[in-house]
Amino acid sequence: MLRKSALGLMAVVIVACYAVPFLWIGDTPRWTGSFLFWCLAGVAVIVLNAAAMAGFREDKQ
Amino acid sequence: MTTAYVLAGIACYIVASLCVAWLSRSGTSATMSQYFLGDRAMGGVVSALSYSATTYSAFMMVGLAGLTYKGGVGALGFEIVYFAGVSLVAVFGPRFWAVGRAHGYITPSEMLGHRYGSRWVAIAAALTSLVFLIPYSAVQLSGVGYLLSGMTDGGISFGAGIMVATALAIVFSYIAGIRSVMWTDSLQALMMITASLLVAVLVVERLGGFAAMFAHITETRPEMLQVPGPGLFSFPTFLGLTLPWFFFSISNPQVSQRLFMPASLVQMRKMLLLFLCFGLVYTVVSVVWGFSALVAFPELERPDLATSSLLASELVPPVLGVIVMVGILAAAVSTIDSILLTLGAIFARDVYANLGGSRQDAHQLRIGKLVIPVICGLAMIFASLELSMIAILSVAASAGLVVVVPSIIGAFFWRRATAAGALASICGGVIFVLWMYLSGNALWGLNAGVLGLPVASVLFVAVSLLTRPQSGPLPEGFLRAR
Repeated sequence: MLRKSALGLMAVVIVACYAVPFLWIGDTPRWTGSFLFWCLAGVAVIVLNAAAMAGFREDKQ
Repeated sequence: MTTAYVLAGIACYIVASLCVAWLSRSGTSATMSQYFLGDRAMGGVVSALSYSATTYSAFMMVGLAGLTYKGGVGALGFEIVYFAGVSLVAVFGPRFWAVGRAHGYITPSEMLGHRYGSRWVAIAAALTSLVFLIPYSAVQLSGVGYLLSGMTDGGISFGAGIMVATALAIVFSYIAGIRSVMWTDSLQALMMITASLLVAVLVVERLGGFAAMFAHITETRPEMLQVPGPGLFSFPTFLGLTLPWFFFSISNPQVSQRLFMPASLVQMRKMLLLFLCFGLVYTVVSVVWGFSALVAFPELERPDLATSSLLASELVPPVLGVIVMVGILAAAVSTIDSILLTLGAIFARDVYANLGGSRQDAHQLRIGKLVIPVICGLAMIFASLELSMIAILSVAASAGLVVVVPSIIGAFFWRRATAAGALASICGGVIFVLWMYLSGNALWGLNAGVLGLPVASVLFVAVSLLTRPQSGPLPEGFLRAR
């Protein structure tokens, strides 16, 4: 369940990486615009990957 | 920065790397699995550092900084989408790993050939890798050429830089196969992340601090912080750049082959998470370098010179500049030697053996080793053409390799997928991408990066539905849910 939720949220983050800067905050001429958004998206990717792989076990086949 | 400093730095790097490579010769490397996969027993930390050094190299610190200098913040978005694409490892990693162990695969193209029950699928995937990864290697060599000539004001020529990188890549590949490559990669990655982070902090501080640097850009070049920005990152271009890179982790065999190597899935998880942490820091650092160069040197002749100009400037102490320069050289070499090893394995296992050559493991290993310098020589010729925009050329290779993606997805998720579908998808996709690049790379306003994957996908689905799937059960493990 956690794995599926994490991968689903990952898809949302990926779509947001296109949609948010190009449709919403792209006009902001400051670092708090697209620069900050994409940095935070990067952090979200790490957290979601950790959740998606939390069930990996040493001997899983 | 004087040429003497740079030469001293390169000499220290060569000695240290050779020592690490020599010490890595634990165990034997007498079989294909031992030589090319580290006997499927690699630990997570070394795998992560090596994966990082293989993926992030001359392109990042030279190309991405240059791309930021030219196109602004869109360069960060491009790289973050690629970064998010590495999450595909969370989906495909356990599958590659399990079938690799079950069937003893050495290369991803061998896996496809077996899954689809056709040696021609393996040969097509293998030739695609060979055709497109040689330009990609050339991109790394060009990165070294630009860097060394830029930092020494031509004291070390572009050609000499290429020669150094080529020789080192061949030597590191030969000493102990993937083991020497992964251990030298690890050393290089640690050196690189430490030194580049220090430089970024130092340069930003000397430019007045993070807020002041960005305030200066907001005031003088506001479009560089906007999307689509000064023109480079229009949405179609952004899509064309990001789409092939999104699938990089499964389309590029030098990284997807790494999914066969971890000792366990826990080690694979460690590999991916450490890589992602490394990658995010490295990405942001590269982009900050590009912005720093924009503030410090707003009138550079070529954007590819952003990094070398920064390192050679008074903003960076010479010793630190040399350390980072050596780190970039090392990272480029680590990418090339990984590609060389993978292409050597692919040629021996999937081309030579499938076209009537020996199926004996020891013989294939000899062929794989023999072909490595030949491939490196071809990359050197390509690099000597001295094409200007490193990042764009690198993406051309990704656009070509992405045509294998439908066959990989189908292998694990679609029982009805057929060998004919995979073959049509790979061959048709490659022909389409090559035709696009030879005819100006624009069709309906879109480039090969955007169109290559849909074309390959349509061919894959349509031809699979029109042909009969292989009789009997599929090889074990492919359609099992994970």
